[in-house]
Order: sequence, then C-alpha cells, then structure tokens
Amino acid sequence: MRPISPSVLRPYVCPSCRTARFSKRRFGSKPAPVTDIYDVICVGGGPAGLALLAALRASPATSKLKVALVESQNLDKSRSWKLDPQHFSNRVSSLTPSSVSFLQKIGAWEHLDVARTQPYQAMEVWDGETGSKISFDWSMETSPFEDLRTVATMTENTNLVRALLSRIAASGDENLSIFSESTVSSIENGGSGEADGPDLSAWPVLSVAPTGNSTSSPSRIAARLLVGADGINSPVRRYTDIATEGWDYQRHGVVATLSLADQVPTIFPVGSRTAYQRFLPSLGGPIAVLPLPNNHATLVWSTTVENAAYLKSLSPGAFVAMVNAAFRLGMPDLQYMMRMERPSTSITDLDEDPHESELTWRLQHTPSVPQLPPMVTGVQEGSVASFPLRFRHASTYISPRVALVGDAAHVIHPLAGQGLNLGLGDVASLSSTIEYAVNHGMDIGDILTLERYTADRWATNAKIGGTCDVLHKLYNVPGQGPVAWGRSLGFEIIDRLPFVKGFLMRNANS
Amino acid sequence: MTSIRPTLRTVSLLLRPLPRRSHSTTTSRSTSSVSASEVSHFSSLASSWWDPMGPSRVLHLMNPLRHDFIASCLADGPPSPTPSTAGSPANPNTLHYLDVGCGGGIFAESLARTIPLPNSNAESGGTVTRAASITAIDPTTTLIQIARDHARKDPKVSAHLNEGRFRYVNCTLEDVIAQTPNNITQGSNPGGSGLELRRKDGFDVVTLFEVLEHIDSTASISPLSFLTDCLRLLKPGGWLVGSTIARTWPSFLVNQVIAEAPWPIGVVPKGTHEWRKFVNPDELEAWASEGLMRSSDLERDSVMRSGSEALQGMQWKCAGVVYFPGLGWKFVPGSESWGNYFWAVRRGV
Repeated sequence: MRPISPSVLRPYVCPSCRTARFSKRRFGSKPAPVTDIYDVICVGGGPAGLALLAALRASPATSKLKVALVESQNLDKSRSWKLDPQHFSNRVSSLTPSSVSFLQKIGAWEHLDVARTQPYQAMEVWDGETGSKISFDWSMETSPFEDLRTVATMTENTNLVRALLSRIAASGDENLSIFSESTVSSIENGGSGEADGPDLSAWPVLSVAPTGNSTSSPSRIAARLLVGADGINSPVRRYTDIATEGWDYQRHGVVATLSLADQVPTIFPVGSRTAYQRFLPSLGGPIAVLPLPNNHATLVWSTTVENAAYLKSLSPGAFVAMVNAAFRLGMPDLQYMMRMERPSTSITDLDEDPHESELTWRLQHTPSVPQLPPMVTGVQEGSVASFPLRFRHASTYISPRVALVGDAAHVIHPLAGQGLNLGLGDVASLSSTIEYAVNHGMDIGDILTLERYTADRWATNAKIGGTCDVLHKLYNVPGQGPVAWGRSLGFEIIDRLPFVKGFLMRNANS
Repeated sequence: MTSIRPTLRTVSLLLRPLPRRSHSTTTSRSTSSVSASEVSHFSSLASSWWDPMGPSRVLHLMNPLRHDFIASCLADGPPSPTPSTAGSPANPNTLHYLDVGCGGGIFAESLARTIPLPNSNAESGGTVTRAASITAIDPTTTLIQIARDHARKDPKVSAHLNEGRFRYVNCTLEDVIAQTPNNITQGSNPGGSGLELRRKDGFDVVTLFEVLEHIDSTASISPLSFLTDCLRLLKPGGWLVGSTIARTWPSFLVNQVIAEAPWPIGVVPKGTHEWRKFVNPDELEAWASEGLMRSSDLERDSVMRSGSEALQGMQWKCAGVVYFPGLGWKFVPGSESWGNYFWAVRRGV
C-alpha cells in the first residue's frame, strides 16, 4: 500500500486552492541561459549520493544517463585518504549484509580496503539497570558446520567514500560531471524557452559556483531529476517545500577509536567477533563498542549533552576508565564517577588517574557478568568527538523532478546503527526505480516514476526510525519501576524464543 | 518555492477555451471510425490528461505494461528486417511504430523517449521496444495539442519531435489509409502539411491501446473494418498490438459500476466506457483473421479473394491484466477472458 502522504492527498485539493498554492512559482521571466541539461543531478557527495551515482553507472540501462554531482567538500581529499593499519577514523558505520550485497552488486565493494573492515557475528545487548540481556547471533539459524553468519560489517565512512569515488572513476568520465568544492547558490524553475525549443518551466535549474570564489559566474544546470543527498538541512528539500518533522533528543553521541586488551582466547569459532551494547538509563542512553581490525574498536556512547561534554574533557586515561566502568559498574557508581572532580593539569603526573583508581576499587565490589567486552586499554589520540542526536522524517521523499535520499529524508537515533543502511536502502530503491523507468520509456523525474520509490521506502524507514525512537525512550526510564520491569520481561522473552529472535534479526538485516 | 508541478492544466485552460463541439464536426466524417460523442468525451478530459493524480491515472499506470507486452511480442516473432531498416548490431533500435488513437500521448511519448538520439553513443544496449520512429495519430484536435505541448516539456522528446523521428498528426486512420503507397511521393495529406503518413513498406508495429472499445458500429464502420485498416498498414512479419476489455459480467461490474463510481471508489471518469462496445478475445481473434484476409485482398487489388493463405504465419497473443488498487496493474494469466487484456496479432512473413 502507498503511505498516506501529501502526494496521495494532493488530487483532492480544489482547483482554486491549487492555483493559490502554485502561485509562488517563478516563471523565469529573464532566465540566464542554461548551459547544460542533465538526467540526474545529485546534490551531496556523501556515502548516499556517491552510492546513487555508482549504482546508476553500474547498471546497463542507466549507465548512459547524463549525471552530475555537486559537493561542497574537496573530493580529492577523500580520494587520497590514507591511514596506517593501527589507526582508524572515528566515523564508522555497521553495514548490514543487504547493504554489503548492494555495494557488491554495484561493483563498489571491490574498491574498498577490506582489511580495514571488520565483520562481527554476534551481539550482546543488556540493560544496565536490570541486568536482563539478549544475545544476537546466527547460531540458532545455522548448522555448526557452516560459517557463522555476519550480523554486520564495521566500515569507516572514509573508506566507503573513497571506494565509491574510485568505483565512479572506473566507470569513465563520459556523461559524468563532478562539481567538487562547489555549492548550489540557488535552485529555481527554468524558462519556457523558444516557441519550438524545449519547455523547462517545470524543471529545476541549479546555479552552481565554486566555494569561496564569488567572482566567477555560476554554471546553470537543469535537472530531469534532482536528487537531494544533502543531509539533515537539505537545501533541495527546502526548495521543494517538503515538510519534515522531528525533534532533537537532547543527547550527544560520543565517538572514539579504542584499542582493546587481547581477547580471552576462548571465543568460538576462532576469529569471530562480537559487538557489545549496554543500556544506561540513568546516563541518557546506551554505550556500544563495535569491533575493528587488529584489536581495535569503535565507541558510540549516546548520553546527555552534559555527560558528553564531561567525557570529552577527560584525560585519555580517565576516558578509558569511564568506558570500562560504563560496561561494568552499576548505575549509582557510574553516576558518581560522571561527577568526579577532573584533576587539574598540574597533578596529571600522578601514578594513577583518579578515575582509574576509582574504577579499580569499585570493580572489586561489583559482581561480574559473563558477556563483558575485553578491557579497553587506550584511546586513539584526537579521535574523541561528539555529535547531536536527532530524529527527522520528511513527509514524503518526492516532488515533481525531485527525490530525497539518506539524511535529507530521515535522521534516526544511532542505537541500532541503521542510519547509513537506510540511506543505502534508499539508493538501491531509487536506482532500481530509475532503471525500470528508463526501460519503460517513463520520464525519470515524473511523479508517476518517483512514487514507486517513496512507496517502497517511506514506510520501511518510518518503521525502523520509529523502533529506534521507542527503544530510546524505553531505555531512558531510570530505576526499577514498571517500565524497567516490562522491558526486561520483553528482553528475556525475546532471548528465550529463538524464532522471534531470528525474525528480528532477519528484519534488521532485510 | 512550491513544487515544480507542470502548469499544463492552468495554462491550457487559460489560453485556449476547449473547442468541444466545433472540432468533432470537422473531424468525424461520414466514412470515419470516429464517434462524435467519444471525441467530445475525451476533449473534456484533455486538460487533466497528464495529471498523474487526475482522471487518467489508471491509464498512466498501465503504460509500462504496454512496453513489456510489446517486448514479449517482439521476442516471439521479430519483424522481418528489410534493407532500409536493417540496423547495424550497434543500433538495435530499427522498428517503425504507428500509434492509432494516441490521445494525449501517454504511450506515444513514452515510446519516443526510448528512441536513441542520433548523436548519442550507439553502443548503448538498445531498448526492449527497439523503436526507431513513431507516428501517433488521433482525431481529437485538443488531445493532439495537449500531447504536443506536453512533449515540449522534455528536451529529448522535443528533439525527436523537431527532427521527425516522432510525429503527432491530427487525423483519422482513414486519412492514413487514403494515402495509398503510390501517392505518398506526391505529398498528398489530409492536414495539408505535405506529411508522409504512410510508410511505403509498412510499419513494423501498429498499436491500438484502449481504442477498439470506443468504436461505434455503423453500416460502413465496425471494429472489423477498423482492424482491417490497421493490418493493411503492417509490413509482413509486423505486429498489431492493442488492449481492450472483455464484455463479461465481471467487467461490467468492475468497469461500469465500480471504476466509474463517484470518488473515492471510482478511478475512471464517468462515461469513459460503454460496456456493450467491449470486445471478447475470441471475437477479436476471429476479426483479426478475417481482417488479415480482407487486408490482403485490398492490398493485392485483385478480384481473386484470398483465403487461408493470408493467415499463413499469423500469430495471436493475449494476456490478461488486472488493476489492484494501491499496487497497480499486474499480468494475471487467465484474466483475459473476463477483464482488461492485451492482445496482438502478427502478420505472416
């Protein structure tokens, strides 16, 4: 079924109201000449925008489309990105198997530095308040003789972006224009042209100018289909007047690259890795440690804005102690440590950081649980950062000759690590919609074409984004009240019913 | 900015009062297959023809299946290549199409979009319908104007229109037939523009989508004579492809009672269909065979009546489609005997 969205309700707007609605449009009385007409112009060169371009270049039906990409950052820097094997970027995404197979299908996976990615086969999730836990792995679905299936693959965003850029480069530069370090200064409708020429009055025309160079005159390019992959504040979305709803969680996600102590050697099967997530209701959200190669891991700690600021201000030793404490100590202990005086710089030469000694002392009095991650031993210099957590969902992803993908369409809570996967899902759907349209003589910017895309993705994204939102709210109720009791009951039930768990995992990976 | 929705509706209404009655008298002649009431019905729909949420929405949704069905016909029996149309392997798009009753151009424009531009790199894989050119005719002046105006909104289609690979002609099928192959070169044309409507060696594909059920049966005109005329324009091995609705109780219920019901149930404007004009597949197949024999008589210009030899190599295809609200049109095998269906007949080589 199509979701109920304004695009569905639109035919029932009365004609006179319609005229009023569209009276805002500019008719382009004296338009500057349009230099080029493209089939697809993608604004935004992040993972979603680049994946769309790569997907279009990979399919025989769409590889001849004339495409353009507009990105404000310098893409040469992304192309030449390099890090030694012991260092990792702090922006890491967990790609689900379906995202990985999409990247393989469009030929981008082979351009990825796979040595820098880390698949994991199991996930331990537990509630810091009640201790109830749930373990996700595919062991109940697979026979002991086959390889354990992957839950997700940790991949640095920079690694993915570089791979997509080199995949696009490998497709040649025919019918491809990349406007790097360029911004869109305006989007408006084209002119109606000469009497016998094409009428571009319903086509978006972009003025694109190099960043920081206001003297050169912008190029004016027209788009049969304008794709907004331009993030949460999408200028393309604002141009189309698509409404977006949402709220800020008043939480920040603290990220960092960690190094771990050697694994306890009894992990079976050998080489399999586990991700760990513990909900900390009293601190504002879950902490997660997800594996990276060479005994490294990436941290995502969703917490209140004050806690995030506190964590970022700590010395590396104290930060590591806090991460270890967050997986091991009870809520009152953690709340205490979160308010400890930070030692002034003059006393950092002390043998042991106060946070570390506090942790050592308190651990002796805390019962251990079996699912603990290895101890964190260090944090990569300069990798601690934070970003605000928000929820946004556009009321529709399409408008005539416009489609939104990725963060421009939806931003969700990162607790399930689904943000980038949803973006790649959008791209897979939009590119196959375009392919179908080309094969059937449809106009790829027409609403009849694009409604297939929004019908395919809107409800899916709303479901996953909504689930993450509910989980966030459920796990922000501190104490041992009925909500805590209810959620641990839910956890225990799911953990004991293999078929429910299997269903949830398949759903998360679909 | 509001959304960049086509302004077709408002612009056309403002600039051009719909000539509802006037043109139906000019276009429907005594020997025409065109019914005056049908022409006036579709003229009144003209302004909303291209509104994706308007009264023609169901027709728009069916359009991709027309491409799929034509592709399946071409796979079953490719039209025989003639020296003039034999393409290099680099360019598989060699077929010439005639769209009869093109209306506002829903199918014609979509087919034109699959024609490669001459300057485009020829090694592209080609499209499933393999079109090289399309001529689209309709007797309703308003609709042809709507179709032309809409085509101008797409630079690629507009280029095809300007360079003659894609043509809209406001005439009847009888006008095309009146151009006998001999007088083509003399440039006789009903529109007076010197257009060559009829191809000397015939068309590879003639399409007749949602047309048969709108033809009035009179003494001189019937669906059979109309089909005969279409078949006459085909080259040997060419396909006549169409779609129509079977005349059954389910189709009466679906098309007359439900589909034309008031909003929010109905999806088709009231008065679009007349159930008694619907055609069943077996009737159609019989007319197609009869039409093939008659057209062969007419083409040979001989007193000898041709018999079954005209049916040698004839192929008949039929595929039912069903509209599922919210999902769109789907091919449903077997449904041709009670609802909407695609049909095709191939003239023997």
